[in-house]
Amino acid sequence: MEITPTEAEEALLSIQAIMKKTRRSISASGAYKFLILWGFIWLIGFLNSQFLPGQLAGNLWIGLDILGGIFSAFIGYRLNRGVRSSSPSTTGKRIGLFWLLLFLYCVAAIMVAGTGDGKQLAMFIILFVTFGWIAMSMLLSFTSVWPGLALFTLAIFGYFILPGIFYIWMAILGGGGMILLGFFIRDRW
Amino acid sequence: MAQLNETIHQTIRLRVMAALVTLEKDAEVDFSTLRSLLDVTDGNLGAHLRKLEEAGYILVNKSFVDRKPRTFISATPEGRKVFKEHVQALESILKNGK
Repeated sequence: MEITPTEAEEALLSIQAIMKKTRRSISASGAYKFLILWGFIWLIGFLNSQFLPGQLAGNLWIGLDILGGIFSAFIGYRLNRGVRSSSPSTTGKRIGLFWLLLFLYCVAAIMVAGTGDGKQLAMFIILFVTFGWIAMSMLLSFTSVWPGLALFTLAIFGYFILPGIFYIWMAILGGGGMILLGFFIRDRW
Repeated sequence: MAQLNETIHQTIRLRVMAALVTLEKDAEVDFSTLRSLLDVTDGNLGAHLRKLEEAGYILVNKSFVDRKPRTFISATPEGRKVFKEHVQALESILKNGK
């Protein structure tokens, strides 16, 4: 069997394209669902923090986070049902374990630092979330690094420059941004 | 020197193998997911899968999931090996042709 260099190049390009599509489809096929879910949780949670008394807003945040965790587990369980593996250490399980460990690290860091102020606490959580987002993006889909960095920059800007409207800033730009990005990925990616 | 493989070189079979070797070694993909990845019809994909199965490059596993029949496909170690050799042969042709 003989083929020309042009045919060889076309075949290699075709292979690269389908490998990229497969990786993206399998690793990022449901990412938009998490973005939309957590976008709504941030939107509602930060609006609560802006307008409701501190204790009530804090309790609502706990409720929202529990709901978010349950729905995330459900979405994760239903993700990639088109691919199955006998190995316990598949990518999806490793990603879930990473976020669980990051959550535990975040709780430990908050306990050690003893953050009493609501904004400080929110900023601590945002820093851990954006760190996890960027780390995952570097491993799975580098283009997703940019929205993570944008969210991090927005949070830092809001925290230091606009402390009076920090919560509403994070609700609209952080939560709203995640929702818009989720719908964008679903429709255009 | 690595040789081109005639069975694998056909466009759709090449894309099937590329998709399958991208998965982890013990992973298998279901028929409809593979079909939508490759953007081909059921009949077309089925015919090419049979050729690859006959050559021993893929495994087709029919089972029931939630009481519904599902077909899962994976690359065999032999399939992974010949695909790798095929890619090396393509790269060699490209390199020598430039």
